[in-house]
Amino acid sequence: MALLAGVQFGGPLCSASAQEAFKEPEYSKYQVESGPITLEFWSWVGGLDQVVKQFEQAYPNIKVHVNNVGAGPQEYEKLQTAIKAGSGGPDVVQIEYDFLPSFIVTDGVLDMGKEGASDAKSYFVPWTWGQVSPDAKTVYGIPQDIGPLALLYNKKIFDQYGLTVPTTWDEFAKEAEKLNKASNGKVQMAEFYATTAPWFMGLVWADGGEFFKTSGDTWIQTLNSPEAEKVLSYWADLVKKKYVAALPGFTAEFYNAVGAGQIAASVEAAWGPGVTAASLNNRTSGDWRVAPLPQWSKGQQFRSGNWGGSCDSVTRQSKHPRAATLFSVWLNTAKGPVLNNWINYGIFPASIAGLASPELNQADKNPGKFCGGQNVAEVYAQASKAVNVDFAWSPWFAFVNDNFNKQFQAFLSGNATPKQVLDSWQNECLRNAKDDGYAVKGK
Amino acid sequence: MRQNRKTALLFLAPFLTVFVAFYLAPVCYAIYLSLFIRRRVGLGPAKEVFGGLENYIRAVQDTDFLNGLKNMFLFGVLQVPVMLGLAIALALLLDQSRGIFMKVCRTTFFMPYGIPTAIGALIWGYLYSPNLSPFNQILGALHLGSINFLSPGVILISIANIVTWTWTGYNMITLFAALQNIPKELYEAARVDGANRWDIVRSIKIPLLLPTLRLLFIFSVIGTSQLFTEAFVLRPLGYVADNITPNLYLYLTAARDANYSYAGAMAILLALLIFVLSGPFLRRVASS
Amino acid sequence: MTKDNGQIFSTFGLWFANPPHFFDNVVGLFTYQNSIFVRWFGNSLLYAGSITLGSTLICAMGGYAFSKYDFPGKQLLFNFILGTIMVPSTALVLPLFLMLDKIGLVNSMWGVILPSLVNPFGLYLMKVFWDSSLPNELIEASRLEGASEWQIFWGIGMPLIQTGLVTVALLCFVGAWNNFFLPLIVLNQENLYPLTLGLNVWNSVSSAAGGKPVYNLIALGSLVSVLPLLVAFIVLGKYWRGGLTAGATKG
Repeated sequence: MALLAGVQFGGPLCSASAQEAFKEPEYSKYQVESGPITLEFWSWVGGLDQVVKQFEQAYPNIKVHVNNVGAGPQEYEKLQTAIKAGSGGPDVVQIEYDFLPSFIVTDGVLDMGKEGASDAKSYFVPWTWGQVSPDAKTVYGIPQDIGPLALLYNKKIFDQYGLTVPTTWDEFAKEAEKLNKASNGKVQMAEFYATTAPWFMGLVWADGGEFFKTSGDTWIQTLNSPEAEKVLSYWADLVKKKYVAALPGFTAEFYNAVGAGQIAASVEAAWGPGVTAASLNNRTSGDWRVAPLPQWSKGQQFRSGNWGGSCDSVTRQSKHPRAATLFSVWLNTAKGPVLNNWINYGIFPASIAGLASPELNQADKNPGKFCGGQNVAEVYAQASKAVNVDFAWSPWFAFVNDNFNKQFQAFLSGNATPKQVLDSWQNECLRNAKDDGYAVKGK
Repeated sequence: MRQNRKTALLFLAPFLTVFVAFYLAPVCYAIYLSLFIRRRVGLGPAKEVFGGLENYIRAVQDTDFLNGLKNMFLFGVLQVPVMLGLAIALALLLDQSRGIFMKVCRTTFFMPYGIPTAIGALIWGYLYSPNLSPFNQILGALHLGSINFLSPGVILISIANIVTWTWTGYNMITLFAALQNIPKELYEAARVDGANRWDIVRSIKIPLLLPTLRLLFIFSVIGTSQLFTEAFVLRPLGYVADNITPNLYLYLTAARDANYSYAGAMAILLALLIFVLSGPFLRRVASS
Repeated sequence: MTKDNGQIFSTFGLWFANPPHFFDNVVGLFTYQNSIFVRWFGNSLLYAGSITLGSTLICAMGGYAFSKYDFPGKQLLFNFILGTIMVPSTALVLPLFLMLDKIGLVNSMWGVILPSLVNPFGLYLMKVFWDSSLPNELIEASRLEGASEWQIFWGIGMPLIQTGLVTVALLCFVGAWNNFFLPLIVLNQENLYPLTLGLNVWNSVSSAAGGKPVYNLIALGSLVSVLPLLVAFIVLGKYWRGGLTAGATKG
């Protein structure tokens, strides 16, 4: 932690990129409230306390207090209770795209468009703006990071068993079988994130599937679409044959298997290599590479999906919405914080200038170092361009997310077929949403 | 005795103040909240409108809530008797033995009670990771395969194990203390009548333990109805269903799905259920 | 506890590994995130300490009233208070949170301390102890000598009921030290968290995108968090045995 972000970017990094300008918005357009202001910021990204120091230097009137109340669901549960109570929430809060609608519908997050955030649109990868601005008018967050999908694979294991990097799912399945035979079942080809619905949904997204949309005043939920069934059947088959693991993700259990060479590859979002590198604490560092996501047919137009990624939203409780908006925009468009998030924590920028920045390629730092010096960012930047643009989530997504785990466990214990998994997922979520008063139908 | 009443009230005032403010009022508020349901127009935010008993009707038909209750009953009829049986056996053993060994045993068994539930669950979570678990390493060494402690079929037993680990020692110490309070003359008299050790256990010790046991049973049942922390802490480590205990499901209904009214209705139902189940026992304790 | 984060994953055994990282972990635990662990530890002590003091005193006074005075509806009130221990914590804490917010106690230490002062079982225990430890004749005699009710309670009663006080205090302390659900709902500020909540946040963040995995610190922190109760058990051990059964056997 001794290396402050400022020190890093003041070093040789800067000179290398001096020619290429990092386009930042004109922050002076944001007229903040007068007087000393303290912004409360909830986020679980590491090292942010260092990043905000840069902001505080540029804006001496504004202090930012970073508060970590837990990652993902644990933070959302706290935020939702604070919204219900009417106070106690932060000014700015990190929210994953899939969970954002549940805070829009409880009136928890502010339309930042009213504070001038709409102008920031052109600084972000277009599809990310669709995530924070579902109706293309209101703006409920500033995109922070994205998670386009690619294949992270252990080159050492691939070389050892003579596997070729698959470009289609057919090849992927064949290589998986080959690996299973060659290793006597000791090494599995990949991981099915059985307790992380958005991973599976990202893969369906990559195949053009949709889960939620609106039609007039009604929500339409199709969790059991033909695309979803195709993707789930494919993976379920591999899981059943034990070619692919189905461990709970992000656990000691999972990373131990990865570090011990029992899992050869994994479909990972852009932030995945960084998380994997940090979790393995340099074990197998350098053995890994990233390849584009396998496709359903050879020669098709290249497509990828997105898993996770977050935005920073301003809450309706904020007493300083303009300062909070400025901070959210700054955090995700200014060079310092955008590059710092990638280089130190593997958080892949949603900002166009960030994506184009040559500094993303750092061979001697994770996640580049973890991947043997490969330009990881380039692969993911390509994937980002291939993400389906108009994908939407629903306000009851938190329930949908938990319910998927339950249904998929029924498959793992042999009590349900993939089709049954998807059908009961669809039906239980539909019933719950209706009970909660949503106008929603299946088709 | 007017004077007397006034003094009594003064002594009671601090307790009653916090009791009413932080116990009674929230329960009343929960009952009030539980009568509202959410209505939406179009895609916008919900409006809370009076719904009468609709939330209660929804609760008794909610398979997730019912599943939590089912697990609670399983716990009540399986985990609680096992734990109390174990505690009785240990207490009787300790009552028989003397010396340093007994003291060490007593403290060791009691220790887990002092470990915060959240932290105990974190530690057990690591011990339960299927490939890392020392239990599975032992099973593997004996060629007995391995157990996935966090899988849906096993997780309830895994949680029961944490609860048993935490509370057996506490129950044991309480029972042990009760045994120590039994006048030794009773044993002497029984021995004179030709009773052996087992007779003494059966006809003197166990009957005299009953009042203590009744209290411990009530606390265990109430504890069972409150199960939350273990499941909450284990959730990030694997698959722990959101409906595994009623309390976890209640919490998620409020905090995840933002439906306080429905959570309130389920909480009231849960409280009534516990009241019906353990009320008769509690009445005997209170009036004795 | 001599493992670094990577080794925790590789083999489970928590205790010894080569090379030893024990010292690094201790330093890490007490310095990570601006020494927030120290803060959590202090918070836990503060919460548990003030709840124990306040709750024990309130219960002692309340129990005294139920034991030594007569007033209409006494038995009914007592049974009612005792009956409320069945209310599940979620029924209590979630609406409590909404109410605390209206009086500005959310995100404050008082929001954790004040609601925790309510302890129906402690009240019950104290009544039982008063019944058995302070003879009514002693009170009558003192009254004749002109002692005020408060003097009798404080000067004559309290010294006689030490076992009961320590027993209830220990129960309060353990309960408060273990407290998880109430602070989880009421507190949104990391630096107000007790240990239980803080370590849980580390655990949650350890497995998140962009978060920093600190399983080694969690494991060591868990051990440290158990120490105060261990000390309390060993120092006050005899009170457990003397006092715990009182509620059941003497009642």
